[in-house]
Amino acid sequence: MKRGGSNARQPKVIPPAVRLLRGGPLAGCGGVGNKSTSSSGSGNSGSLSTQGFGKPDDVGQARIDAFKAAYPNVSLHINEGDFDPQQFLSSVASGNPPDLVYLDRNLIGSYAAQGALQPLDEELDKVGLDMKSYRQPAADPCTVNGKVYGVPEFYNTRNILINGKALAETGLTSADVATTDWDKLHDTARKLYKASSRGIARIGFDPKLPEFLPLWAKANGAELVNDDGSPNLDDAKLVEALGYAHSLIAEQGGWSKFKAFRDTWDVFGSGNEMVKNQAGAFPWEGWYVNVLVQASPDLDLQCIHFTDRQGNPISFCDGSAWCIPKGAKNTETAARWMKTVTSTDTWLKAAAAREQTATKNNTMFTGLWTANPDADHQIKDKYVKPSNNPGFDQAVNNYYASTEYAFAIKPSKASSEIKTAWTDATNRVLSGTQTPAQALKQAQGEASTAFASAK
Amino acid sequence: MVSLSERAVEESTSAEPARRHQPPMAFGWGKILHLLVLCVASVAFLYPFVWLLSASLKPRTEVFDNSLIPHHWRFANYADLWSYAPVLHWVFNSVVVALAAAITVSFSSALVAFGFAYFRFRLRNLLFGLVLATMMLPGAVTMIPIYLIWHRIGLTGTQVPLWAQNLFGSAFYIFLLRQFFLSIPREFFEAARMDGCSHFGLFWRIAMPLARPALIVVFVFEIQASWTDLLKPLIYLQDPSLYTLPRGLKAVIDTFGNGGEQHWEIIMAASVVATVPLIVLFAFAQRHIMDGIATQAKR
Amino acid sequence: MTSRRRSEGLAALGFLSPWLIGFAIFTAAPMLISLYLSVTSYNELSAPRYVGGANYQHLIHDPKVAKALTNTLVFAVMYVPTAMAVSLGLAVVLSRVGRLAGFFRTVFYLPVMTPTVAAGALFLLLLNGQRGLVNRALLLIGVHGPNWTTDSAWIKPGLALTLLWGLGGTTVIYLAALQQVPPELYEAAALDGAGSWARFRRITLPMISGALFFTMIVLSIHALQMFDQAYTMFFGAQQNSTYANDAALFYVVYLFQQAFGVLRMGYASALAWLLFAIIVAITSIQVRLSNRFVYYEGGR
Repeated sequence: MKRGGSNARQPKVIPPAVRLLRGGPLAGCGGVGNKSTSSSGSGNSGSLSTQGFGKPDDVGQARIDAFKAAYPNVSLHINEGDFDPQQFLSSVASGNPPDLVYLDRNLIGSYAAQGALQPLDEELDKVGLDMKSYRQPAADPCTVNGKVYGVPEFYNTRNILINGKALAETGLTSADVATTDWDKLHDTARKLYKASSRGIARIGFDPKLPEFLPLWAKANGAELVNDDGSPNLDDAKLVEALGYAHSLIAEQGGWSKFKAFRDTWDVFGSGNEMVKNQAGAFPWEGWYVNVLVQASPDLDLQCIHFTDRQGNPISFCDGSAWCIPKGAKNTETAARWMKTVTSTDTWLKAAAAREQTATKNNTMFTGLWTANPDADHQIKDKYVKPSNNPGFDQAVNNYYASTEYAFAIKPSKASSEIKTAWTDATNRVLSGTQTPAQALKQAQGEASTAFASAK
Repeated sequence: MVSLSERAVEESTSAEPARRHQPPMAFGWGKILHLLVLCVASVAFLYPFVWLLSASLKPRTEVFDNSLIPHHWRFANYADLWSYAPVLHWVFNSVVVALAAAITVSFSSALVAFGFAYFRFRLRNLLFGLVLATMMLPGAVTMIPIYLIWHRIGLTGTQVPLWAQNLFGSAFYIFLLRQFFLSIPREFFEAARMDGCSHFGLFWRIAMPLARPALIVVFVFEIQASWTDLLKPLIYLQDPSLYTLPRGLKAVIDTFGNGGEQHWEIIMAASVVATVPLIVLFAFAQRHIMDGIATQAKR
Repeated sequence: MTSRRRSEGLAALGFLSPWLIGFAIFTAAPMLISLYLSVTSYNELSAPRYVGGANYQHLIHDPKVAKALTNTLVFAVMYVPTAMAVSLGLAVVLSRVGRLAGFFRTVFYLPVMTPTVAAGALFLLLLNGQRGLVNRALLLIGVHGPNWTTDSAWIKPGLALTLLWGLGGTTVIYLAALQQVPPELYEAAALDGAGSWARFRRITLPMISGALFFTMIVLSIHALQMFDQAYTMFFGAQQNSTYANDAALFYVVYLFQQAFGVLRMGYASALAWLLFAIIVAITSIQVRLSNRFVYYEGGR
């Protein structure tokens, strides 16, 4: 499963002998020329290249295999490497784009407005793909000015994961970690926090800035983006939310120590921060539960919902999408790809692969959230079972619950610039160069300029 | 002819004369202290290399244990790197591009340098001043238009822009080689002219052979400059199989680093692969490089 | 003009033609194009749109430009004198050990052969605040090192350290220059009763002033165009930019992002011209200084 725009990557379960690149001799394989030789009508031949879908794991590989089985004559080139905006725009601008690009669907608004993506309505009609088969918060960011530019996949929601051992040590319960009462959360964070001679020994509560600012914003009743797509970054409630989340970090060692300590975590390994008691609690996306269960299946994990200040559970969702860059030629095969890899059948195969991995490692299936509700339900019914670790069971159930109420950031024709603006603002606050009010005021200025000049 | 050329070589590139200017070597505490300082400095300079090599052979959880010898040797890091990325392509690409860059720039710069050194014409100083001025031109100013020019020609996405500019000489090497050509006694050329040698013959048969040491310096410097260039591959290359090593290394860092699962050991392995060829080159060309820089300092 | 002179002229032209052509295509034309672009808004996916001085106006008010400029200039001021001083110090020590200098010289030059990207990656790990080697080493002498890679105040010094690893090149230049100084001068001065510091100031420095000046210009231009290490360590694929620290936003990095990251080529061209103006200004100041302070043996 791939990350959808937030930090930390998916675990790399490198399929053993799979060379994902243009395996084959050096001559003639690279660069210009290779992609436009495939203009068949049926979409069942020629070549298909992707960008941004680097390092597929078991789930990703299963879906690639499903496509290969359905269209064996298509020569597939999955370029490694995550989505790189500079690489993407360069390839579009130089007239040499890949056939498919895989990116965080929050970026679609901006790229579509810039003219870097092709509208997909026609192609999707041809292959019979209906956007209604995806959850609305996933499909919305993919539609700009009434035209569809991307096909969504993955639906990452957030809940709070808690290190049970840390709770036990400090005599707290998971209710103490709730985000409803901000003052109480301060106390809890302080109690769970542990300093060391060289810096920090355990972070109490990591608010996950800047990535999860939308969560804190919503908790305080602020919207980052208005309904018409314009930015709303200097909203006083957002300033307050940012200030609060930052204050949590400030009193747990301050940002530079906090981050440096976090950089030492073995996030994906068997010595992860939960096992090593280096973290008390943090919000995280659902796929991390899978990481934890693979790396440390005996972990004392607890999970509660993220709540707003009135106590209602909230979660924001994001994920990826497949798009066709401007200038890409093999659009029909690309559309077939998009339909195949996000279909319920394919997802079931992917879930089976994930289940296989779990069985092989003696762990459990921890859920798969696909943005395709039909697939989600079938997978849940078939593969999610109680295990011998109630903590993980609770976590999995919570993530399935949050899938139903999660919200997405509203789409905008300046979506990427808005995200950059509030991310940068948060970073400025974290590094101490500006106050939340100043930083967000600057962010609002930058975002508004971008919004105004976007077509 | 042979002895004269030998002398020319000697005079222009040797560090021999330098030794004449050494203060007398006095043994004693002073020298020991100096050696101590140098030893400490050497450790500081060399240790990162050792750390790099060592880290590239450790499993992920031990990368930061800072022990000199790995507790657990993990040669598989290189295998992992190999299976993930087309490292061999990258090495090949870097070699090809660096050779193309170095050969073209050596030849073209020598040509131009000879033009400035041998001929006397009115605009000579003005033009040469212009050459020097371009040496100070920040690459950032022309970076975008040059990209657009290549785009128009249709060669973005290929490796050509990485070295093709060297077909036209490079100010720094023109400067260096001109210095060298100027030191060749004019009588050689006069004599050959009287024997009917063409201008190109003067260049190719007299000046170039004498310039071998300087050319080697230019060649090695350009290999290093081209091999380590990051900006041009970032701008021009999109297909990973065409990447040069620095670009590939950057892609590995992005994929495996903080955003990836912090597989620093793989990143270190990739860094070793990117560095070792240059170190080997250095081992072979060391004396030439040092002499070349020393010559520069004598201007 | 005699036919000989004419043929000489033509021959000269022939030899110079590669550079002349290259100058036209890769220097003169781009500079004109860049000037033109700087008054347009151009994203390469559609035609350029004339906007007059809007880019320059925006430039003046863009807080990121101010930040990038400050970062770059502060870094240059931090790095260049330090690099020169440390290199000179090492070179002086090297000049006193006779034949052994060759060996150490090689050792110091070795890091110069490391690709900047590899050096960036390496130092990203060595400079980690919590468990990097640099801080472990500092702990040996009782100093608690800062968080070089996450603390805004220490990012630039960390980068300076990364670059300082490569000061072997400068050291070699200084060493060669030092070895050119005739020992008789020192002997004469010693006979006159000059102490070692006076000898250094009155003899050594002027005698190597040419090399000092040359390296100062080269190091400055290099520092003002800092890109590789900063981009490797702090920017790049989306993940890195989530935690982008303003302190690492160097001018050329910002320019690159604007030009190729968000395809605002008009604006980026304006940024490029600003950089050009600054570098020209700084270099002219340095050249003026050189005319006053640099001593050329035998005059020029």
